[in-house]
Amino acid sequence: MTTIDTPVSIAEVDPDLIATMREVLSSSAPTPRDPDTGVEFDQALWDQLDELGLARLTGSEESGGSGAGWAESAALLTQAASLAVALPLAEHDLLAGWLLTSAGLPVDADLRSVAVLDADGSARAVPWAPVVSRIVLAWPAGDGGWRVADVPATSVKLTADTNLAGEPRGEITATLDDSEGVPVPEDLIRRLQLRAALVRAVQVAGALERTLDLVTEHVTTRVQFGRPIGKFQAVQHLVADIAAETSLARAAVDAAVRTVATPDVDLAELRFRVAVARSCAGHAASVVVRNSHQALGAIGTTLEHDLHRFTLPALAWRAEYGSTASWDRVVADSALSVGSDGLWELIAG
Amino acid sequence: MTSLLPPPVADTPELRTLRRDVRTFVAGQVAAGAFTPDVDTWLNGFDPAFSRALAEQGWLGMTIPTEYGGHGRTFLERFVVTEELLAAGAPVAAHWIADRQAAPSLLKFGTEEQKQRFLPRITRGELFWAIGMSEPDSGSDLASVRTRAVQVDGGWRLTGTKVWTSGAHHAHAFFALARSAPLDPAHRHDGLSQFIVMLDSPGVEIRPIHSMNGAHHFNEVHFEDVFVPDDLVMGEIGQGWHQVTSELSYERSGPERFLSSYQLLAALVDAPSTGADQQIGQYVARTAALHEMSNSVASALEHHHDVSSAAAVVKVLGTALEGDVADLGDVLTEDDPGDPQLRALVTRAVMHRPGFTLRGGTSEVLRGVIARELGLR
Ligand SMILES: Cc1cc2nc3c(=O)[nH]c(=O)nc-3n(C[C@H](O)[C@H](O)[C@H](O)COP(=O)(O)OP(=O)(O)OC[C@H]3O[C@@H](n4cnc5c(N)ncnc54)[C@H](O)[C@@H]3O)c2cc1C
Repeated sequence: MTTIDTPVSIAEVDPDLIATMREVLSSSAPTPRDPDTGVEFDQALWDQLDELGLARLTGSEESGGSGAGWAESAALLTQAASLAVALPLAEHDLLAGWLLTSAGLPVDADLRSVAVLDADGSARAVPWAPVVSRIVLAWPAGDGGWRVADVPATSVKLTADTNLAGEPRGEITATLDDSEGVPVPEDLIRRLQLRAALVRAVQVAGALERTLDLVTEHVTTRVQFGRPIGKFQAVQHLVADIAAETSLARAAVDAAVRTVATPDVDLAELRFRVAVARSCAGHAASVVVRNSHQALGAIGTTLEHDLHRFTLPALAWRAEYGSTASWDRVVADSALSVGSDGLWELIAG
Repeated sequence: MTSLLPPPVADTPELRTLRRDVRTFVAGQVAAGAFTPDVDTWLNGFDPAFSRALAEQGWLGMTIPTEYGGHGRTFLERFVVTEELLAAGAPVAAHWIADRQAAPSLLKFGTEEQKQRFLPRITRGELFWAIGMSEPDSGSDLASVRTRAVQVDGGWRLTGTKVWTSGAHHAHAFFALARSAPLDPAHRHDGLSQFIVMLDSPGVEIRPIHSMNGAHHFNEVHFEDVFVPDDLVMGEIGQGWHQVTSELSYERSGPERFLSSYQLLAALVDAPSTGADQQIGQYVARTAALHEMSNSVASALEHHHDVSSAAAVVKVLGTALEGDVADLGDVLTEDDPGDPQLRALVTRAVMHRPGFTLRGGTSEVLRGVIARELGLR
């Protein structure tokens, strides 16, 4: 698969490509989730995506990727989130694959995740750690720089866990040896963290959009007091606020995707746009989760109903790679550092 | 998946240059003492000299075609200019309604003679407009207006009362929405018409209504058998409802719907250790996202897409944010000790706050617009 014009926003992605994504993902959606053990990795679906070039969308064609960009990748993540398909799509491609290539290391088709370790060699909530075959590690070296290494998952100590949505997560500890890592600039690690944070915002937006659809469908069909509950103004206002907050999250996420897709974008600019996306998506999730469960009534709280397949991931994702509050503070720090005189330029460019 | 938003857009290099130009100009004006940045300046910052200075820069009547004395520029160019002016807290109220609402309406529905007569003067910053919609018994339910227009020889005679007319005491004209045919309860939107009323016409009486801070901003405009000649009928008789509602997206999605208290937000960023970094960050983030949304709606309007529900979304979110910023300022600052200048800004924002979510269609009504778009009603 090759792309000729590089789209910068999801809205510009070829509709045929999105249709293909949807068709493939739908074939085994939603990913089954056991309330106790979480979701299982769907190897068959992964292989299918891999064959179609969707598992390594943004990898260069020389390295076996599809040579696409952030916009296509964000479209894929959005579709997956909106169909409740749980797969390490972003971790494998946008994060681990990108980090390896950026560090000048070889990439292959092995399933990967990524972890930024602390000085003791530990990282918590490493996405899909219990499932992947390799983990790309980044750690602060003794000399003050950073190192990156691509290691087999079996080489790290793992305590498996799941997030709120049942997606595999794990605490890992690695024995660090600076000489085994490739030196990389700190800037690269900062960008990795921002990319990871943005991935979650993209996913949240997708989950919220699907939630709006579920709610709309429910309130136009559920009848109480002789009419669809959506005819009651109180319910209309719940739904209108879901739509409004979801739109705000979408606008902020699209702007951040456009920024990250800009070649050689300034790190401070990227940090601000990602933080805006995380702040807006994070707070939107509060309103959307609250209002959607309110509008759905008791049925929405059950395992049987699909609502939780979107509300739980939205909450889980907004709490990964930094809390919503921490991203609010990043926005504030950006603002404070430029002061009132520079604030508008920060916002509007 | 449902999306109420038009596709996102980014500034072109030309638009970025235009932004810089406006920013430089405004900074020069502030430095020269031409104005002090303030909150809610698009409705309260009345300064004809500043409006004329903008006109000299070519920043009024931007989207009016050159044949009518305008500048023939794009909607997005106008968006950039107005957004920069609002962010700077510049006094743009004098020409605001004329430039935002009267000009596009005249272009769409006005006669050739009306366009020739009014548009060049709007572009030069000489003709100010007001909005003559609300009445004592007609607020959200605008179709219930009772001002009556009776056809007479050579024109119409209007009798009735408009209210909450912002800046009518400074303005030269407004479009009065009036009932030109008896109410048919089965078709409430029929029989309404718009008339261009010159506010110095005999029989027009403008009485001040003082706001709770003592300011004279609102007016009651009373018509006693006011003669409106046929050549000042706006659009088609009986099409008033269609004409009024077709322009609502322009009115609801613009940057004035999320930047009314921006100067206070900026001041809070500078205020020493408020202890509310997180909340300030959240509001800066929302401002940035609303900038994106409002921009994308402006772009869609340029392409004549129907964006009424997207405009409603911008207004619901943006005006709530404006109010939240005012309230945050109030929660964070105190009269004594504290920074008197900041506190004064907070006070003005708090005084104006209730209007943010009322004017131009209340938030409750707009949520109904969104719900309708989603198929709930
Ligand atoms: C600062 C400011 C400037 C203004 N400038 C102008 C101007 O220049 N020209 C002009 O014509 N008008 C102007 N207005 C008037 C403005 O358009 C009206 O205030 C607005 O349409 C609401 O009408 P109302 O004030 O009569 O309130 P009402 O319509 O009486 O509403 C009162 C409350 O009831 C709620 N409500 C009403 N109907 C419904 C419903 N169907 N469902 C749910 N809730 C409902 C409203 O949301 C609101 O909370 C201005 C208002 C303000 C505050």
